Amino acid sequence: MSLMHDIDFTLNGVRRRATVRVDMSALDMLRETIGLTGTKYGCGEGECGACTIQVDGVSLNSCLMFAVDCHGRQVVTIEGLGADEASTRASALRDAFVEHGAVQCGFCTPGMMMQASHLLDRHPHADAESIKRGIEGNLCRCTGYKKIVDAIVAVGEGIAP
Amino acid sequence: MSVSEKPRFIAQESLIGTRVTKMDAPEKIEGKTRYIHDISLPGQLHAKILRSGRVHARILSIDTRAARALPGVHAVITAADVPDQRPIGVVRDHLPLKGDRVRSLRDEIAAVAADTEEIAAQALSLIEVEYEDLPLLANPEDSQKPGAPVLHDDHPDNVAMRFEYSHGDVRAGEAESDVVLEDTFKLHYVTHCCMGVSGIIVEFDASGSLLMYSNTQVPFLHKREFADYLGMDPSRVRIIQPPIGGGFGSKLDIYPFEVICVFLARAAKRPVKLLFTREEEFLASPTRQPVLLTLRSGCKKDGTLTFRQVHTLHDNGAYTSWGATTPFVMMQTFSSLYRVPHCDYHTVAVYTNNPYAGSFRGYGNLQATFAIEQHMDMMAEAIGMEPLEFRLKNAQDAGEVTGQGMSFKSCGFKECLTTAAARSDYSRKRRENLEQRQSGGPVKRGIGMASMLHVGGGAKIYPSDGCGTILKLDDFAHVTLITGASEIGQGSETVLSQLVCEELGLPMSAVTVVNNDTAITPWDVGVHASRTTFIAGNSAIGAAKKAKVKILAAAAKKLECAEADLDLRGGWVIRAASGEALLDLPRLLRSLHFSDKAELVMTTFYYEPPSVHQDKAFKGDVSAAYAWATQVVEVEVDTETGIVRMNRVTAAHDVGRVLNRLGIEGQIEGGVVMGQGYALTENLLVEMGVMKNPNFRDYKLVTAPEIPEMDISFIESMDGEGPQGAKGVGEAPAICVAAATANAIYNATGVRMFDLPFTPERVYRALAGKSEKLCWKPE
Amino acid sequence: MTEIERYYAPASLEQAVDCLQEAGGVTVLAGGTDLMPQKNAGRLKPQRTLMNIRGIAELRGVELSGGEIRIGALTTITDLLENPLVRQHLPQLIEACNHFASDQIRNVATLGGNICNASPAGDTLVPLLVLDARVDLVSRPEGRMLRRGLPVAEFFVGPGKTRKAPTELLAGVTIPLPPENYLGRFFKFGTRPALDIATISIGFGGILEGGVLSRVRVAFGAVAATPVRASHTEAALEGRPLTEATIAAAAAAARDEVTPIDDVRASAWYRKELIHNMTKRILDHVAHA
Ligand SMILES: Cc1cc2nc3c(=O)[nH]c(=O)nc-3n(C[C@H](O)[C@H](O)[C@H](O)COP(=O)(O)OP(=O)(O)OC[C@H]3O[C@@H](n4cnc5c(N)ncnc54)[C@H](O)[C@@H]3O)c2cc1C
Ligand code: FES
Ligand code: FES
Repeated sequence: MSLMHDIDFTLNGVRRRATVRVDMSALDMLRETIGLTGTKYGCGEGECGACTIQVDGVSLNSCLMFAVDCHGRQVVTIEGLGADEASTRASALRDAFVEHGAVQCGFCTPGMMMQASHLLDRHPHADAESIKRGIEGNLCRCTGYKKIVDAIVAVGEGIAP
Repeated sequence: MSVSEKPRFIAQESLIGTRVTKMDAPEKIEGKTRYIHDISLPGQLHAKILRSGRVHARILSIDTRAARALPGVHAVITAADVPDQRPIGVVRDHLPLKGDRVRSLRDEIAAVAADTEEIAAQALSLIEVEYEDLPLLANPEDSQKPGAPVLHDDHPDNVAMRFEYSHGDVRAGEAESDVVLEDTFKLHYVTHCCMGVSGIIVEFDASGSLLMYSNTQVPFLHKREFADYLGMDPSRVRIIQPPIGGGFGSKLDIYPFEVICVFLARAAKRPVKLLFTREEEFLASPTRQPVLLTLRSGCKKDGTLTFRQVHTLHDNGAYTSWGATTPFVMMQTFSSLYRVPHCDYHTVAVYTNNPYAGSFRGYGNLQATFAIEQHMDMMAEAIGMEPLEFRLKNAQDAGEVTGQGMSFKSCGFKECLTTAAARSDYSRKRRENLEQRQSGGPVKRGIGMASMLHVGGGAKIYPSDGCGTILKLDDFAHVTLITGASEIGQGSETVLSQLVCEELGLPMSAVTVVNNDTAITPWDVGVHASRTTFIAGNSAIGAAKKAKVKILAAAAKKLECAEADLDLRGGWVIRAASGEALLDLPRLLRSLHFSDKAELVMTTFYYEPPSVHQDKAFKGDVSAAYAWATQVVEVEVDTETGIVRMNRVTAAHDVGRVLNRLGIEGQIEGGVVMGQGYALTENLLVEMGVMKNPNFRDYKLVTAPEIPEMDISFIESMDGEGPQGAKGVGEAPAICVAAATANAIYNATGVRMFDLPFTPERVYRALAGKSEKLCWKPE
Repeated sequence: MTEIERYYAPASLEQAVDCLQEAGGVTVLAGGTDLMPQKNAGRLKPQRTLMNIRGIAELRGVELSGGEIRIGALTTITDLLENPLVRQHLPQLIEACNHFASDQIRNVATLGGNICNASPAGDTLVPLLVLDARVDLVSRPEGRMLRRGLPVAEFFVGPGKTRKAPTELLAGVTIPLPPENYLGRFFKFGTRPALDIATISIGFGGILEGGVLSRVRVAFGAVAATPVRASHTEAALEGRPLTEATIAAAAAAARDEVTPIDDVRASAWYRKELIHNMTKRILDHVAHA
């Protein structure tokens, strides 16, 4: 079987080790090795954004990331989003997604949340157009995106929920 | 709810029509919802399926010895290992595992259950199959040619299904027409693209009972059919439905992977989980089928429609699933969207070696509407009438019974037309756009409209179109609503809870919904035909009403007054006339429970809509209510690239009554954007039976920056039979978009697009006069 | 199927090139956004050593010195978009980055990865061509660092194929600072703003003085086996007044000199039409700038 490699990183604020196959994706590591299933598989090719996580403060597709590349880094998944108490924005985002009806089947939602939170970290007052561009890598088949964009805009404008 | 001091009066507050947030949203937002992908059973094995990769071939041999010998492999099955397998599908033409012949690229040859997915994949690579290629049927026209290869021996003409419908006398209609148009339209392959890929987990217990974790939209039909295929007692089949990552009609049939997984679990004597990859999801999921459609329509100079004659050829693909039955819906649109005195409709669904056709939100109606609504514009132009006026002249009204026997008790069609036109400023913009066609820059603006009719009160296709509810109130006035209706993301649990709360005067937080286990929930026919709000809603209301009667009877006895003087509000029994709070509901329930004649408030209700089955000629009032909509689409066409941008969609929907504004807006926005994808970007490319783009890179779903501005109006026609007056809306919003877009492109450029999708190159070719004129007519 | 036998994450350029020199059979991993899907689809066979170069700090960043802008190979697309130097001086590159993939991918995809992946549709390659960029290649034969530069125009030899030796690492690119009055344009055709593989792309650079164009560079993506400079189109523009007639002649020359193919995304005919119409549109915009 493939070569295994030990890595040491911080996951949702907790330091941990993991032994992973060197050719494994961070997505498979999270879901299968570690058992955190909030991060979703939608395509495995970087096209859908369902697997979005944050690493060292930026959002990325965990299906494209080699698990070994998590070594020494700060990884945040939906399970840990806004876990630090300072993050009032994450909870505002959660409320806004509920209030604005941004969730239907919910499969895209964890990835959307991770990306939305990253966007607002970078551009706290982003307008609707830049938010649409910001989530262009997140596919949603149910909502038509409008309510998702509305929810993120509302948080940026500080009017949510 | 033990309040020390009684509130004196409780004001009336209704949940109906408000923006109620989705009950399961918080779980989903935190990533805590466990979809089928996220569930693991102890001891579970992982399954993978070997697919043919050949379009049409005879199987000469299958050698699984090396796969069986691989460490970690628990079961390998081929057709030879499951002699008891039976054909599945609407006409039973589809064996899950193919033993002698494959008819499409996705055909299942063998399957493996192993300790890990990697081992299962490795085992597949060790299976050797020898094939002998056979001549193939790459398109439906060829399948009807003399000497065409025959795909199923018991269908020597390659016809899977035929539909013939007629009312009136089209010849007479044609004779009195001033204008007659005939055109051929061509519709393409698309697929559901649920964000959660397909999957199933199967387990047999010690007594041999079957437990499936499945994403089916029709658990009770599934249960019965699985029992049939396995020769089991249906009562020993149990289906649990974890939350689903999108449905849209894709999960209405039984598919080979599900049966195969059952066989694997039986062989391995362990729980087995099978998940598709995205590529597999593209290759092996059902599609919205391509249709070739020739429409002949006529009208008089004064704008009265005279007749309509339709021939369609459906690419059924290699096997028959629900796609073949979409003519049920298509013919309704042809016969009954407008008043047409004479109408003929003929469909042939033929076998080819292409992906097979399933059911998909809109169910044939997108295809039918695409043709009709373009012809409406074309006829209007031919007689020099405004398209809006022409439609209004022929639109249905409440009280009408159509040639097909559909009876419109509520009908907001004309209001949909006028509302969408007014809110989009349709007539003025249409005229202005005509003027700029010749002048101005390379980017042209266009506006177009289209309308639709769809069942909105269920559809009586099965022996029953009903749904059962069990409703239980506990000692604290907390309600458990046990409904047969599945939740597929559309928000049914929220709407059903709302309806129950409205009856019982309780807050939303007082309800828990159980809707995912056939061992618990009462029967329901399934999530399809936009029926859940209507049917399950009426069922839930029925159960709640019964509970209310019981509660008020007890209260009246206690208060020594008439039941009619009492009502429920805010968790209290109140005096109906004044709103004065009289009895704390939880306390009342406890006093019922802990008394000499101990009693719990638990009720059941089964709602069967007052619709009828169609007769052999497809006539009859098949739905208890019908939904209407008009959508106006505004586009910009870049004539130097062919890019069509959808800038704005104005939608007016007759929904009976708005129950949950937030939920219904979400359904419409999502449906419009799905319609946008159908019109502009999505195209499953199948060449010689081979899918060229089984991935999101080249199968393009609409992304956020592409969505149009959306203006949505609700026409509340207050349907007499609907729950609180509501009608179904789930499928409606996706139906008109492509047709309205075609009309908008014509308005912008003067070029009519008869075939979908309107991807840049196809539009550019049409503008350059380089697309061939479609012309098809059956012999 | 080769199995990966070693995973290595060097901290310095020396260590990295040493590894390339010694080991042989090394797969270089930067952002992984090409590598991972190519590996999963079986299009790329991982070598015995997987070397993750992301930890080499000196390969990341943008600097201006001696009239040249140097961009490290590990600089991400997001880094480029946010970099003031790039924003100010390299408008085509910014435009290309703006239409590149999605935010999540831009955050990790590196310029070096885009160059070494050598896709005919690689979005940054066309701007680099018109900017006269040079690639900086580093190797370490017998323990001494060897650097060589190569014009980007000579670097690509076919889809996925470059003149980089297996022992070489791409350290970055060097771009001569464009003059003050420089005009740069980039156009990527697609129905989406991004997350789309270019059907065609067009890069333009030049100086417009007194209505006359000079130092003209035109390049096209996705119309040949590699991104290409368009010498006939350039010749039709160089030194001429940017009149309607010049623009028409240049657009015609562009259509004639590209040799695209038919694929799932577009036909060769349509690609030629797009090259013609969009070259014309870009030049019209330049004329009115
Ligand atoms: C969904 C999706 C969308 C995309 N959209 C676009 C797009 O719009 N435009 C576009 O141009 N590309 C696009 N790409 C492709 C990809 O993201 C880019 O090519 C990216 O720049 C690659 O960079 P990377 O750092 O991820 O490379 P990697 O995947 O790490 O490496 C790519 C190749 O280059 C080699 N390599 C990397 N760095 C070096 C170095 N310094 N020295 C030597 N060899 C090296 C690697 O060995 C590998 O062969 C897309 C990819 C995906 C998955
Ligand atoms: S699963 Fe990673 S982008 Fe789709
Ligand atoms: S809510 Fe279903 S995919 Fe977005």
